[in-house]
Amino acid sequence: MTGSSNLLNWILWMPILGVIGVLLLPKAKESAMRWWSLINTAISFALTLVLYSKFDEAVPGMQEAFTVKIPWISQFNIFYNLGIDGISLPMILLTALLFFLCIMSSWTITKSVKGYFALMLMLQSTVFGVFMSLDFFLFYVYWEVMLIPMFFLIGIWGGENREYAAVKFFLYTFFGSILMLVGMVALYYATGQGVDSFNILALSGGKFSDLTVSLFGATVPFAKLFFVFMFIGFAIKVPVFPFHTWLPHAHVQAPTAISVILAGVLLKMGTYGFLRIAFPIFPGASVYFAESIAWLGLINIIYGAFCAMAQTDVKKLIAYSSVSHMGFVMVGLAAMTTEGMNGAVLQMFNHGTSTAMMFLMIGILYERSHHRWIVRPDGTKGFGGLYTQLPKFSIVFIIAMFASMGLPGLSGFISEALIFLGIYQKYTTITLLALIGLLLGAAYLLWMFKRMFFGEVIESNKEYTDMNGREILYMLPLCVAVIVFGIWPAPILNIMKSSVGQLVSMLSKF
Amino acid sequence: MELNYLANLSRYVPELIVCLTMVMTMIVEATYENGVKSKPLMYWTAVIGLFAAFVVLCLNLHQPATTAFFNAVVIDPFSTFVKIIMVLGTLGAVWLSHSSTDIYNPVKPEFVMLGLGVLVGGMLLASANNMLTLYLGIETLSILSYALASLRKNDERSSEAGLKYALYGGISSGLMLFGMSHMFGVLGTIQFHGIAANIANLSQTEILVLVPSFLLFFVGIGYKIACVPFHMWSPDVYEGSPLPVTAFFSIVPKIAGIAVLLRVTMSFFGNEGVMQYSWVGLLQVIAALTMTVGNVSAINQRSIKRMLAYSSIGHAGFMMLGAIVLDEVGVRAVLFYGVVYLFMTMGAFAITSFIQNKYGNDHFERFNGLIYRKPIMAIAMAIIMFSLAGIPPFSGFVAKFNILSAVINKGYMTLAIIAAINSVVSLYYYLKIVRFMVLKPQDDQDAIVGFNFVNQSVIVLMVIPVVVLGVFWSKIMAVADGAKLFIQ
Repeated sequence: MTGSSNLLNWILWMPILGVIGVLLLPKAKESAMRWWSLINTAISFALTLVLYSKFDEAVPGMQEAFTVKIPWISQFNIFYNLGIDGISLPMILLTALLFFLCIMSSWTITKSVKGYFALMLMLQSTVFGVFMSLDFFLFYVYWEVMLIPMFFLIGIWGGENREYAAVKFFLYTFFGSILMLVGMVALYYATGQGVDSFNILALSGGKFSDLTVSLFGATVPFAKLFFVFMFIGFAIKVPVFPFHTWLPHAHVQAPTAISVILAGVLLKMGTYGFLRIAFPIFPGASVYFAESIAWLGLINIIYGAFCAMAQTDVKKLIAYSSVSHMGFVMVGLAAMTTEGMNGAVLQMFNHGTSTAMMFLMIGILYERSHHRWIVRPDGTKGFGGLYTQLPKFSIVFIIAMFASMGLPGLSGFISEALIFLGIYQKYTTITLLALIGLLLGAAYLLWMFKRMFFGEVIESNKEYTDMNGREILYMLPLCVAVIVFGIWPAPILNIMKSSVGQLVSMLSKF
Repeated sequence: MELNYLANLSRYVPELIVCLTMVMTMIVEATYENGVKSKPLMYWTAVIGLFAAFVVLCLNLHQPATTAFFNAVVIDPFSTFVKIIMVLGTLGAVWLSHSSTDIYNPVKPEFVMLGLGVLVGGMLLASANNMLTLYLGIETLSILSYALASLRKNDERSSEAGLKYALYGGISSGLMLFGMSHMFGVLGTIQFHGIAANIANLSQTEILVLVPSFLLFFVGIGYKIACVPFHMWSPDVYEGSPLPVTAFFSIVPKIAGIAVLLRVTMSFFGNEGVMQYSWVGLLQVIAALTMTVGNVSAINQRSIKRMLAYSSIGHAGFMMLGAIVLDEVGVRAVLFYGVVYLFMTMGAFAITSFIQNKYGNDHFERFNGLIYRKPIMAIAMAIIMFSLAGIPPFSGFVAKFNILSAVINKGYMTLAIIAAINSVVSLYYYLKIVRFMVLKPQDDQDAIVGFNFVNQSVIVLMVIPVVVLGVFWSKIMAVADGAKLFIQ
């Protein structure tokens, strides 16, 4: 074991302690379970803040002080290997924050409370695992284990069509990851089964550009083939355009907190996969496919925006807006310039906070209305005049909406601006078209806002009560985050800068 | 050469223990009068006998390889490992037959006796070192299996299963024997090491005769494994037989078949040439077909038993991949797969069996809301299903990972992708059970009698390895790694 600090271990296993606690509590003690989970996630969040404070911004690679490396399976040289750098730390912070807030927002869950909180904490641990693993095998295990709690969380606590959504989510993601598994094993043998064969860092740097592999009788370049495999695996998670069809179902059917986690954290696992695995391991192939990825990202932006515009279900609208916003991340990644990459990672963080706000707000609204129709199928309005009825709610909603729209002064603006700066150096057409996507984003959000919040208060909306103290309490940190990081993004940008810079300079050699 | 019986028999202790247990059960059974409700003494005799065999086998695991009875059988770590799997499988089936009511009380002793007989056949097969022993093993295994399949005498489907099994079995072993006789004609020996040596240098005409005769020979093995063109019997037999018998069939004969396939492939076709090319090519096509047909057919089943039957065809295809790679990595992967498959299959069948006892059938709807009725059993079943589909951190994933890595190591990328996609297909129907158990509301509140404390504990004991071997598989991997095939 190298490294002196066990901090990563503590963060990773803290939620599992929480799971054990929840399982040990008797079934009737629902309130105790809620408090226990809340305290547990609070401790996790506090630990990630400690991690943030100890983080050394100047180090471009993995932070040696935190690295944990213990042999796990000796026959295959698999290690229990954890570490963080400037790309994973923002994601870990985001995860800890969102889970903490989601536990707070799940106070109203009454169906099998025990199972809910146990699965939720289990999910948190696996997400941490994905963002911390430096061993490909370990990464894969966490990547897959995550599906199990997610399946149950959508399937048991979801909306009407939850079974379909849960199964679709599970099958889609599993399909993607099994291709990744094939790629992972191929990498293991390509490196000669040595000590570093599953070590993500050691695999990086474009070692496989000369190899070929035979597939269905044809000889294919090794790097390109497995880049495509991994691309599909990660793209399904993001989701990139042709693989996005699971997302609207899963988001709409999932309970509020799970939608938040899905949009806020799980989608980022896909783009994180590109940053940590696909790009560093196959830099040549990534550069080769960069333009195609950028175009796919652009399709995401435009197509997602148009789909969002067409929705009458407000949650589905936000789900498609996620597709659109993740398109910006993809475009930023594909630019492979310092600004673009930094923008993409920052956008991952910012989208996490802003979309979490949107979903939480819709969850709050849903608890009052028990429907989500902007326009009901029979053509009548589902909501109207919410602004006069729910003033506090409306203010928070406006902040969330403008943050996700990318209004200057709020967090979305900075990351999107950086992405445009980055992509403009490479692909002018895509930049121009993506700007239209930005415009469309403003259009569908403002149109939705107009339909829901302005006009006469419709009859059914009159009994809605404004946000209560608990709801304000969990929205507040996110409001602060989108405003503060909109004006002063340095705390996040500084920690990612050197790690992203290292990746960009590595990619620029190909 | 003089045969020293005692010295030879001393290497054959586990088999002797099983035979002795069989005799003991017969004696014990004779002391009962008809209609005695359960037969605990009989059951315990079998359990103790099997456990003793298990212990002896474990002690023998690190013994160096030897041959016995004029080279007719070989006792190597590989065969010992396979025998351990089979003994445990039989132990599980005996427990299940005792605990569930699928097998009527009067015929429970028959199940135990016949089952032990099948086990002896399987053990013989795993140790076979010449064609005669191989055939003897296959026939011992088969003939007793036919009787097992039709154990529910008055049940039409059970009789149908027995008859179908016997007809298919008879034809395939006939074809196999035909192939073997040609092989003897060309190669001039029935000893495996002799065959291996002679295969290395063949003339053109000899190859022309040998290729079809190996094809015929494969029919016999393929039928035991239930791989694709020879799998037709398996769903009907599995469905018609009582559940403990089905569980038994999907473990012991299948593992024995895979073991013999591995031994034959590894010892005959080690050298490159036309023979190796044809055999491995044949296995590749059949393995791909077996996986695909098994998994696709499993999708639309209503009965869980039938679904598990098709899924076990799929798993057999996966295990065959380990033979294709022709090296120790493949052997090790198959052995690991076998262990994991044993626990998963036994657990799944046990849970299904108790549900079937309660409702008289095992349709998916019977699992509705099991999580609210018997949470531990539902979680156990869910773990098994995820494991069968190959989701980490359960051992089914590790088993698939090992097979895939053996296959990819040899550059069979296409096969690896077919196998990977099959896992996704299989996830669909495994998830179906989980869906019914967890996401549907419960239909009725009645207690499920089968899930008493003891039975639940046994099932949990089966699930523990499924989880533990998925995370800490280093140790068992080392054991499987040590279980080398003995090639002369």
